Amino acid sequence: MSTESETETGTADRGTTAPSSSITLESVRAVAKKDFQDSVRSWLFWGLSLFFFTLLVATTGVVSYFGEDLAAQGATTDVLVGFVSEITRLIIPLIALVLGWKAIAGERESGSIKILLSLPHSRKDVLLGKLLGRSAVLSLSLTLGFVLAAVVVAVLLGGFDVGDYIGLLAVSIVYGIAYTSIAVSLSSLTRSTTVAGAAMFGVFILFYVVWNALTSVASLLADRGIPFFDTISYTTEVQGQEVELERLPDWVYFVVNLDPGEAYGRTLTLVTDTDMIELQAQLNEEMFGGELPFFLQDWFALLILVFWIVVPIAVALYRFDRVDL
Amino acid sequence: MPAITVDGLTKTYGQTLALDDLSFEVEEGEVFGFLGPNGAGKSTTINVLLDFVRPTAGRVEVLGLDAQTHSREIRSRTGVLPEGYRTYERLTARQHLEFAMDSKGVDDDPERLLERVDLADAIDKKAGGYSKGMAQRLMLAMALVGDPELLILDEPSTGLDPNGAREMREIVRQESERGATVFFSSHIMEQVEAVCDRVGILREGEMVAVDSVAGLRESVSDGTVLRVTVDRLDDDAVEAVRSLPDVSEATVESEAPPTLAVRVDGSKTDVLSELENQGLEVRDFSTSEASLEEVFQSYTTEVGAR
Repeated sequence: MSTESETETGTADRGTTAPSSSITLESVRAVAKKDFQDSVRSWLFWGLSLFFFTLLVATTGVVSYFGEDLAAQGATTDVLVGFVSEITRLIIPLIALVLGWKAIAGERESGSIKILLSLPHSRKDVLLGKLLGRSAVLSLSLTLGFVLAAVVVAVLLGGFDVGDYIGLLAVSIVYGIAYTSIAVSLSSLTRSTTVAGAAMFGVFILFYVVWNALTSVASLLADRGIPFFDTISYTTEVQGQEVELERLPDWVYFVVNLDPGEAYGRTLTLVTDTDMIELQAQLNEEMFGGELPFFLQDWFALLILVFWIVVPIAVALYRFDRVDL
Repeated sequence: MPAITVDGLTKTYGQTLALDDLSFEVEEGEVFGFLGPNGAGKSTTINVLLDFVRPTAGRVEVLGLDAQTHSREIRSRTGVLPEGYRTYERLTARQHLEFAMDSKGVDDDPERLLERVDLADAIDKKAGGYSKGMAQRLMLAMALVGDPELLILDEPSTGLDPNGAREMREIVRQESERGATVFFSSHIMEQVEAVCDRVGILREGEMVAVDSVAGLRESVSDGTVLRVTVDRLDDDAVEAVRSLPDVSEATVESEAPPTLAVRVDGSKTDVLSELENQGLEVRDFSTSEASLEEVFQSYTTEVGAR
């Protein structure tokens, strides 16, 4: 296809501005600003902020009502982070997918992308601007909700761990950007919002149905002695007794951990002191004879989140430059 | 240096051939009307000029720059009124223009721009509530941001009432006087006639004619139709007229009154004297120039279909 022969060595090489497929910050900023203004009905932004505020305040209320013992142990922020993250783990992807699914497909379907690209923006600028604009909607509403709720939380709990609270906010923002990147990128692969919507649904099913079943499926396969699913035995001490247990192979845990939601939980255990975050794969050092492989350690989960931001948008940047609108 | 050079441009979508080895040039400073029926490939051509779609073969230069590798620079020096767009419904006219100014890195006055297109009243209204004509005026204002060297207007009269279309032509004329090159497409001949220095007619992905409006009119060989009312009809007489060297066609147009329609290139008196030689009495005759619509149609419909 001739589009593949697109090179920077055109016959007429007299251009003075940046090359056509490059990224310029002013363009990204202009597109992001426009997108922020246009994509968000103001009630949506305030609604999201209110939602996060309510989530935090309600959870705090429950914790402070039922958790007098916890308060005595000074563990209330842990509990709050634990509860809230259970909900945000599910809700943030939904919000990001809904915010992002029309980002590019919608503009291509309606033709408004012709306005964007009649102006001197590269397609990469448009993609990055969209990612930035939509990420800003989610991040700013999260931040606003958290900041407003902080006062109420502090009053209800009688003081709280600022580090854990900010940690939860920061990791939630990274998690939100990861799903926004997935949404905007998928949206750039099609001209049809129907297809884009189906793709968003597919992502949700993939990570919330398929991925959640992985450990069970792997165990079943291991029971039947399917190659590559062989379990590994290890010994641990239960009530002073040495017992021999079996675990799944390393790579299964790695695949399980690739789920952005799992990475979100693991990153939270890293940046906060909370030890009550529920994860699909409970890992401990004994299972691996003393030390976890690096790719199963908590710090690696942060890399996985970054992976989910970088890789989808990188694929989209590459491909969107090469298609007819 | 030509403002637009299209050389051997071919574009296929799957099995469909949208543009077939298209070549033409638009001179700097001229108003060029890009004419053709719907589906002839006008928008595809414009989409290639703006790098919205990539050519299957051929070379396209705009403002002396390769349309693909230097698209960003081309677009920074060009004002575009696209076809089949939709405005951002939650942004006001002012925000649309500010976005265009931001994007081009220029300063301009949104109020002045909107006054030019007669939309100043709606400056702070959201575009979601605009009529098609208002949206079209807004897009024209966006195209004018920063006094671009080249204006590419794709079917600019879409959605405009006759008055709006006239105002649009007036703006094209002003921009041309300022020194801008204007490339504008239309499927209606009358709209390009008044403002265009030259017209290119596109049919099924091929340029079938490029000339001034007057030149096009002349080049249609069967330009003049002579209508002759006679006292009676006579097949031999019609045959005799038809065999005259300058006559391309002679038909009986009506029986009562008996009237012949004769397409003639040269002398009309030859036709009249031939009729009298054949013993017919000429009672009345009139001539008509080929209308622009006929010129357009003669280029855009299959030869022989007439």
